[in-house]
Amino acid sequence: MSSSDPTAASLVARRTRRSLGVGFFASELAVLFRRRRTWAMLLALAAVPILIAVAVRISSSGSSGRGPAFIDSITQNGLFVGIAGLTIAIPLFLPLTVGVVAGDSIAGEANTATLRYLLVSPVGRIRLLVVKYLAAVVFCLAATLTLSIAGILIGIALFPVGPVTLLSGDTVSIGDSLVRSLLIALYATVSLLGLSAIGLFISTLTDAPVGAMAATVVLSIVAQVLDSLSQTEWLHPWLFSHYWLDFADLLRQPIEWSSFGQNALLQLGYVVVFGALAYGRFSSKDILS
Amino acid sequence: MIDCSGAGSSAPAHASGLAIETTALTKRFGRQTVVDGLALSVPRGSVFGFLGPNGSGKTTTIRMLLGLAQASGGEISVLGERMPQKLGSVLPRVGALIEGPGFSPFLSGSANLRRLDSADGFAPNGTRSARVSRALDRVGLGHAADKKVRAYSLGMKQRLGIANALLAPRDLIVLDEPTNGLDPQGTREVRSLIRSLADEGTTVFVSSHLLAEIEQMCTHAAVMRAGRLVAQGTLDELRSAGTTRVIVTTPDADAAAQVLRTLGLDPGHPDAPGAAVTATLPESIEPEDIVAALVNAGVRVRGFAVDHASLEDLFVALTGEGFDVVQ
Amino acid sequence: MPRTWHRWIPAAAAPVAIGAVVLGGVFATSASADPADKTPQQVLELAASSTVDTFSGTIEQSSNLGLPDVSGLGGSTGSSSDSSDGSDLTSALELLTASHTLRVYVDGPTQSRVQILDDMAERDAIRNGDDLWLYDSNDSTAVHSTLPADASTAPDASAESLTPAELATRFLDAVDPSTEVTIGDPVTVAGRSAYDLVLTPDSSTTLVSSVEIAVDADTGLPLSVDVFAQGSSDAAFHVAFTSLSLDTPSADLFDFTPPAGTDVTEKALPNRDDAPADGSVAPDAGTHPEPTVTGTGWDTIVELPASTDPSSLTDSPMLSQLTTSVDGGHVLQTTLLTVLITDDGRVLAGAVPVESLQAAAGK
Ligand SMILES: Nc1ncnc2c1ncn2[C@@H]1O[C@H](COP(=O)(O)OP(=O)(O)OP(=O)(O)O)[C@@H](O)[C@H]1O
Ligand SMILES: [Mg+2]
Repeated sequence: MSSSDPTAASLVARRTRRSLGVGFFASELAVLFRRRRTWAMLLALAAVPILIAVAVRISSSGSSGRGPAFIDSITQNGLFVGIAGLTIAIPLFLPLTVGVVAGDSIAGEANTATLRYLLVSPVGRIRLLVVKYLAAVVFCLAATLTLSIAGILIGIALFPVGPVTLLSGDTVSIGDSLVRSLLIALYATVSLLGLSAIGLFISTLTDAPVGAMAATVVLSIVAQVLDSLSQTEWLHPWLFSHYWLDFADLLRQPIEWSSFGQNALLQLGYVVVFGALAYGRFSSKDILS
Repeated sequence: MIDCSGAGSSAPAHASGLAIETTALTKRFGRQTVVDGLALSVPRGSVFGFLGPNGSGKTTTIRMLLGLAQASGGEISVLGERMPQKLGSVLPRVGALIEGPGFSPFLSGSANLRRLDSADGFAPNGTRSARVSRALDRVGLGHAADKKVRAYSLGMKQRLGIANALLAPRDLIVLDEPTNGLDPQGTREVRSLIRSLADEGTTVFVSSHLLAEIEQMCTHAAVMRAGRLVAQGTLDELRSAGTTRVIVTTPDADAAAQVLRTLGLDPGHPDAPGAAVTATLPESIEPEDIVAALVNAGVRVRGFAVDHASLEDLFVALTGEGFDVVQ
Repeated sequence: MPRTWHRWIPAAAAPVAIGAVVLGGVFATSASADPADKTPQQVLELAASSTVDTFSGTIEQSSNLGLPDVSGLGGSTGSSSDSSDGSDLTSALELLTASHTLRVYVDGPTQSRVQILDDMAERDAIRNGDDLWLYDSNDSTAVHSTLPADASTAPDASAESLTPAELATRFLDAVDPSTEVTIGDPVTVAGRSAYDLVLTPDSSTTLVSSVEIAVDADTGLPLSVDVFAQGSSDAAFHVAFTSLSLDTPSADLFDFTPPAGTDVTEKALPNRDDAPADGSVAPDAGTHPEPTVTGTGWDTIVELPASTDPSSLTDSPMLSQLTTSVDGGHVLQTTLLTVLITDDGRVLAGAVPVESLQAAAGK
């Protein structure tokens, strides 16, 4: 290196103030969405409504006799396919993919030994937690939107499309129904915030990403089982999965917002508690991987 | 412990003169004390070799220096600032390779470097690509920049790890076994890279168990054994701390031994007539006086050598010869 | 190891903060401004003079009647029994035993809509002028009736009878000398301060220990009703507004057209004279024979004469699960209400012990 080289001189320049980490967040998102695994999961999620639509279309026997009545109504209106897909995916597929992303967040970095290099770069431990969590949230949104949009598109392709009948028996325009589909995707995203925080916390406990992913997914199943047992009724309002299927309140006329609010509040509680636990665990953990 | 550092830890050196200073640094894993009362003094501008056999606590020390692991006791200051309290302002000036490289296998080499660079809050976005490609060029990875790290060889990953330490201008570079897995050409390049970094004024802290390597590039060194520092100082000081021997090659071995004995040396009993006579050279006697005495005594001298103990001898002497890892 | 414990402070503080918010919410509700003091009589008058007939709100209803939750049971029996009595009974029991969230929209005496918010489904009862619609999203069915032109008030849908106002009115109408009326501490319901009217039966035979009615301090509208059974501190039946707005609901809500693909049944309404006075029975209950009433006040016993096919009641598998066999018939015992189905098919019900029913049946 020669000091007379003008480009070399400019390369030496440093920021005088520390940046907020927006650049790192953007790079984190780029890394997340550059992974083949992420795309595989999004494609698998998109396959859920597509499979439902194709199966219903092929059997075309009309009523399946099981599950929420409005799954049957996808034959009458393709715009319901996205909602039907979300309903099917919420108990297992969405928690599965979110568990993978959130459980991998810290443990995956520890596993590839990139964690120590991120920390000495230095990214700052709290900032790393926040960025990892936000990236998981973006993935939740991408996942639910993928489901909705894939469902709506396959619905338009295979079934008649028209004004949508709500649970209240009222009929709304296509535009209104698309807005409601978007709201439901948002609702599902919010529903997954607590689970993402739990996954982040578990991810700080181990260097084995698979373990963290599995633990997160198992917890989501345990929560849903507890939610269905009448013996644990006192616990139900505190389970992060309690309001997961209450997005149906967005299909009423007028929209019933209370479950959205309660769900958001509950998820916020989980984010605060498990965010604090993750901070407690990670802020002075020895990074020995 | 042999302490050879001139300024020394006797007077608590003002931190500004030292790139790294630790006092009574201790790390315990459960019951095992892995680093025990370490007092490192790494002068600014030095190339500091950190020597020790496997499992002696080198990497653990480096982790504590960089704030990755919490010390169980003792104090650390890096570039004049307390660690880990000032971690945020110190680490941007420190480049590091810690116990081998670590990269996301599904990203290319340059994407990995860009990611790590963006994690540094003080690194300007504008010059990122230029800095990344310059760092890659410096370690000879310019052509493999866009290859996925998954497809890198061991040595290529090691080079990429070094490139990461060079992403920004640094005041201190910590390299934990940098030549691990490198081919001879790569080893030489790393050595010359370290020298050029030192020429730029960067302090380089290299850990290794390869003595030859340390001997070739370091100005200072410290030796660890089972978590304790057993020697520290400039290379010359360390060498002189070891023994210097005179080796006289002569057919008149007995006569030569006799002469040496009269001078106060202890050549022992020559193994066989005609074998070399060796003796430890005390500081009080100059080698040329020995030669003069030999000649005066009519000893036929075929060869005369003063052998400074190699660092390897010192290393073995200090850390024990056993192959088994201590602890 | 000298680990810093400070890093756990947020983790320890988070549940505390959340607890404070949750409890704080409770405290905040109890801390709202108390209404001016009133005598029980004044509050009764306030409730009676209430003119609120335009409002919308959400209602929470739950009961603890000591009955098993039949929402699951109903499904299995409903499919096996084609008796309309059986399914009516199922839905009536379901309304009583399960918890519900309802939304009501009322605009004057002739426009109203009640929605029972089920999981992934909804039942609606809409009245718009002369049109009465019942809609069930679960099976996409609708029932349409047209009210006689001269009818001033419609027979309520079974759901609407569950609103606090309707229920309270029935209790308040029944206030007689056998009832002691007192005022408890002011309460807050749906964010509104209210008087807590406590009705205590002056009778030793009734199962009801007390009824608490929250009367809105502003408008006199009953906001909640809690019925307590003898020997229990938890309400056996609870219905309350969780939110209430006195604004006029959107007119669109009352304008109901059954969606395409709905099974619509036209149903003629019984004459107003035949309709049960308390309106607690579903509109299609008009085919039932007229009940006879014995006793007064809290000890009132309602008796339905034997229906044409008594076995439809006694043979119902669900009933046999819920009832116990006693001298002279089968008894369905809840904490508040006792129902006796005599062997000859008569049905006697009242908020009294089974002995009183047996005595009445024997008369
Ligand atoms: N995570 C850990 N838990 C417990 N003990 C550990 C851990 N990591 C390292 N050690 C112990 O600490 C001691 C020092 O390890 P360290 O990695 O610092 O040695 P080193 O000098 O870097 O060795 P090498 O030359 O092989 O790299 C070893 O005895 C090792 O067993
Ligand atoms: Mg090591």
